Amino acid sequence: MNPLSLLFKKQYVVEEKVQSLLRFLEDMAHLYQAAYRAYLEDSTEEFLQRNQELREIEKKMDNLGHQIQMTLLHESLMPNSRDDLLWFLTKLDKVPSSFKHSLGDIILEKPEIPEGLHSPIKNMLTHTHLAVKALAHATDSLFSDLRSVRQHVEEVSRQESEVDRIEQKLLEIVFENKKYDLAIQYQLKGILKQIGRVTNLAEDVADAVLILATKHST
Amino acid sequence: MTDPVIIIFLTGGLFLGWSLGANDAANVFGTAVGTRMVRFTTAALICGIFVILGAVISGTGTSLTLGKLGAVNAIGGSFMAAIAAGLTVYWMTKFGIPVSTTQAIIGSIIGWNLFSDSYTDLSSLLKILTTWVVCPLLSALIAALLFTLAKSFLKKIRIGLIRLDGYTRLALILAGAFGAYSLGANNIANVMGVFVPVSPFMDIQIGSIFRFSSIQQLFLLGGLAIVVGVFTYSKRVMMTVGTELITLTPLAAWVAVMAHSIVLFLFASEGLELFLTNLSLPTIPLVPVSSSQAVVGAVIGIGIVQGGRELQWQRIYSIVKGWVITPIISLLICIVGLYFLQNVFQQTVKRESQYQLSSGVLEQFRKAEINIDELDSLIDSVFFSSAELVRAVGKVVPLSSQQGLKVVEFSLRNSLFINADKISAIDKYFLSTQQLDALKTLEGKKYNYSWQLGNALAQKSEEWKMRGDGLKNKLKDREIKRKLEYLYRIFKE
Repeated sequence: MNPLSLLFKKQYVVEEKVQSLLRFLEDMAHLYQAAYRAYLEDSTEEFLQRNQELREIEKKMDNLGHQIQMTLLHESLMPNSRDDLLWFLTKLDKVPSSFKHSLGDIILEKPEIPEGLHSPIKNMLTHTHLAVKALAHATDSLFSDLRSVRQHVEEVSRQESEVDRIEQKLLEIVFENKKYDLAIQYQLKGILKQIGRVTNLAEDVADAVLILATKHST
Repeated sequence: MTDPVIIIFLTGGLFLGWSLGANDAANVFGTAVGTRMVRFTTAALICGIFVILGAVISGTGTSLTLGKLGAVNAIGGSFMAAIAAGLTVYWMTKFGIPVSTTQAIIGSIIGWNLFSDSYTDLSSLLKILTTWVVCPLLSALIAALLFTLAKSFLKKIRIGLIRLDGYTRLALILAGAFGAYSLGANNIANVMGVFVPVSPFMDIQIGSIFRFSSIQQLFLLGGLAIVVGVFTYSKRVMMTVGTELITLTPLAAWVAVMAHSIVLFLFASEGLELFLTNLSLPTIPLVPVSSSQAVVGAVIGIGIVQGGRELQWQRIYSIVKGWVITPIISLLICIVGLYFLQNVFQQTVKRESQYQLSSGVLEQFRKAEINIDELDSLIDSVFFSSAELVRAVGKVVPLSSQQGLKVVEFSLRNSLFINADKISAIDKYFLSTQQLDALKTLEGKKYNYSWQLGNALAQKSEEWKMRGDGLKNKLKDREIKRKLEYLYRIFKE
């Protein structure tokens, strides 16, 4: 047995919990994409099921996040690192919430999304999924290999730019099309903004990861 | 039974030890505790254990250098020297200036030398003063190098934040333990060095392996005083260190402690000296260096590597000013204190010594390459202070600082009587069989000067012969000198 694993048992426990948290985050990104796709394809039952699964994972993530916070508060991490990690976890927690709220709006508003927008929205969802996946990798690197954080953070930025670009294009289409009345235009704008918000948050958190990695490796 | 007055006087050293613990422990664990990377109780415990180990195991080397600067020969004088240094450190700490006991005790010893009209060996003083410049520079250099290496090492390894945190904490604790050991080894001479010539303890020998010399017992006592200082007062100082000059990251904090500890260790380790000697490499002088200077130097070194923008040069200037002022304040307090102790409290602060030149003494001078052509006029003249003696001889023949020290050493009258009772009381494991046999042949002899016994023993056995110049011989000769000092104490009439 590695003697270091005995000496740093508490630290290793935190690392394992963070790994689980990241797996949940990736699962949520996948479920979000699947749920949205199901909605666009009028598969209401699947949409509701995916949404339900997403909510359950969000709860588990909440619990796990809380456990990690408690461990950080009570176990022997250096105060500087502990404060940084608590700040980071609070930021990270906003990403799963944004998934939930985005799907929640769909359930509440039941918007009719024009057929012509389906394909670009699916594309947007794919980039959102990739952005969150890259965020999970960046966060994983923060806890396993500080050197490789930057490349994952750059990937998050790339995906976020792509989502932004598609979002902008779709908004132009929506507002230039005179067939949609103003209420529909604003409803669609809200829906698109919610999807864009997920990647915006992912980019914010990725920036935080990069700050921490830079701070702790100098 | 130990004289209670001696115990009272020893409290001077204990006070100085307390000051050292309160102030200098912050140099070892200040950054770690101040930034809450290591708990105070953990730091204090580790610091306490390793300071004592360093003091007892490796503390004797630097005390020899202090002894050369000025051998305070009465316990009252030692008391006042320690009190003056302790008060200076305490006050400077109160003003928030990180000074060291080294600077304070050097000022005190020179103060005693001036008060008692004793000769100050300028070469030893210069050696110590040089380290006050070399020590922070060396520490800055080591810190800059170590910081650059550590940073590039971190860039090469695969490690995450939490493990890095854990390893850094462990590294800080290990570096702190090393620092505490080095602090004890290098600085215990400051605390108890002035009491070495007047130590009230007897050597303890258990079997053939374990020997606990009177000096080590003194150093253990000093080490305990340092530990009390660490536990009672250092927390406050620790909390302010590490953020004053520059805000340190955990890595920088580790580098600062390591650089500080390496420098203190380099100037204290007899083991390292022996190792270098065996490799025929030049050795590093064993000199008590300032722990505060080492840590400040290290922090500056790190700051410079980082571009120097964050360094607070005004603060650094005030700290350097403190280093100059400290020995002067300590010197003045010591002189005033000695005056009061002697004239108001009627205590002996200097032992009357007699220095007398004889033809035998002149022969010793000649061997030490001192020109004796015109010194005949001084034969049989008696001097009551070493400085007076050196002034008188210096008027006739020019003397270097080292020669001045030799003149004092050879002219000091010290009546010795080699009697059977005292021979039998000698630790049989301390001297070799040949050395002991040689000593036994001198039973019944009387000597007026210490060197006469040394010469007589050298004639009787090769094992008492000094080898002279050369690195390897230096260590052997030092060992013989230690044994001779022991015999001079034992056979003194």
